[in-house]
Amino acid sequence: MFWKKKKTKRDNLDIDKAKSVMPDNGNILMAIVYYLTDGILVFDKGNKLSLINPKAQEILDIENKNIIGTSLLDLCRNSRVQLLTTVFGGGFKETEKKELEISQDFIIEVSSISLVINREKTGTLVILHDITKQKMIERLKSEFVTVAAHQLRTPASAVKWTIKMLLDGDIGELTENQKESLDIAYKTNEKMIRLVNDLLNVAQIEEGKYLSKLVLSDIEEVVYSVIESYKKMIDDKGIKLEFNKPEEKLPKLLLDKEKMAIAVGNLLDNAVRYNKKGGKIIVSFSINDKEVEVKIEDNGFGILENQKDKIFTKFFRGANIVRIETEGTGLGLYISKNIIEAHRGRIWFQSKEKKGSVFCFSIPIKEKFGEFLTGEFY
Amino acid sequence: MAKKILIIEDDKFLRELISQKLSKEGYDIKEAVDGEKGVKAVKDEKPDLILLDLILPGIDGFEVLAKIKEDPGLSSIPVIILSNLGQKDDIERGLKMGADDYLIKAHSTPPEIIEKIRSVIK
Repeated sequence: MFWKKKKTKRDNLDIDKAKSVMPDNGNILMAIVYYLTDGILVFDKGNKLSLINPKAQEILDIENKNIIGTSLLDLCRNSRVQLLTTVFGGGFKETEKKELEISQDFIIEVSSISLVINREKTGTLVILHDITKQKMIERLKSEFVTVAAHQLRTPASAVKWTIKMLLDGDIGELTENQKESLDIAYKTNEKMIRLVNDLLNVAQIEEGKYLSKLVLSDIEEVVYSVIESYKKMIDDKGIKLEFNKPEEKLPKLLLDKEKMAIAVGNLLDNAVRYNKKGGKIIVSFSINDKEVEVKIEDNGFGILENQKDKIFTKFFRGANIVRIETEGTGLGLYISKNIIEAHRGRIWFQSKEKKGSVFCFSIPIKEKFGEFLTGEFY
Repeated sequence: MAKKILIIEDDKFLRELISQKLSKEGYDIKEAVDGEKGVKAVKDEKPDLILLDLILPGIDGFEVLAKIKEDPGLSSIPVIILSNLGQKDDIERGLKMGADDYLIKAHSTPPEIIEKIRSVIK
């Protein structure tokens, strides 16, 4: 309750001052706005400031109390307000929770919402929410995962090298039985290494510095090389893979090839792993004037209707496939989606339980996205 | 004469494992357990090739690499980075600084490491 609110150094919301500037006829709603721990600004139809609460003044570093009625343009003399307008522009484009870095250790989330009363736009509400602490915790978390994963890699390497040397007979000849057991140990360790890789990828995604330099590349080539690397797994399972080359030559796309191969690999891995013996996979391409689309179709186990909305969530695994394949991290599609979206692409799917799934993704063609060439991009 | 390989690696087990394997292949092996000793060993031993880990106590592998490459007497010695830092940035940084190749420990087997060494020193 606001009258019990403790004053802290960081929070220089001055209750008494707030009360003094509050109109006498201020009702409870006004009081709430004044004491809110998020910054609130309201602009009228003419983009003039009609309300600002103390928290917004604090965030935007506005000392002057007599600024009601000032136009947005005039307010822009304040550097933070100017920074703020980069989010929604002069025309108050509606935005929801856009991150804005005010300074290195001060990050806020900005929302801008049209105030519509009786179907008429009467102004704009701007909400500023301090997320500095949240961002710091997120960063610490990803840093922890990165360090932990690196630490896990060293023992995994030692196990890998030792078993490999044993298997190769470097430390003495082995019987067939011994080799078989060690082979299982080797494969299990490889899974562990893959899991560590997945965790590192996720940590990097969450740190937001995921893609390396984008270069114009041939997506068909990337997809084809991924298929090649899965050849053994596909053959072992007796799966028939149909690779439909594009009808016309595809334009080159700006890709981080290594990451794109991971994204495609995860989709193909699912199509093989969650398919029956002797199943079928079709890989195809299509193109329109804006984007290139890649389609991976299988006739495997499919996705349960009531779980479709969770399919790209981190650590999610389908209830029907957990029963069939106990292994898997539930990170594959989450990683794929993030890689594709970092390329400004889209990913979607259609699926029917026991019939199979079709996963598609599209990547924009660069001519339409000039900012690709100049803009900073991770 | 046997080619001399210097292994700069702080993990005792990994160092001994790869050293054992390489000795068996007929290489003359020298070992260093941290960056400082590594730089000293490069100067003293003038090896034919260096296997370099990146995360080392004291001065790290990147610094060791920089010190080798800025010394005209040593800069021609081939360096293969053998590390578990597998981010593209790290790989590119290592190669840009003059390393001949980059291997991620968890993704390479001892025979693959030997193959790489052979291709670099021929």
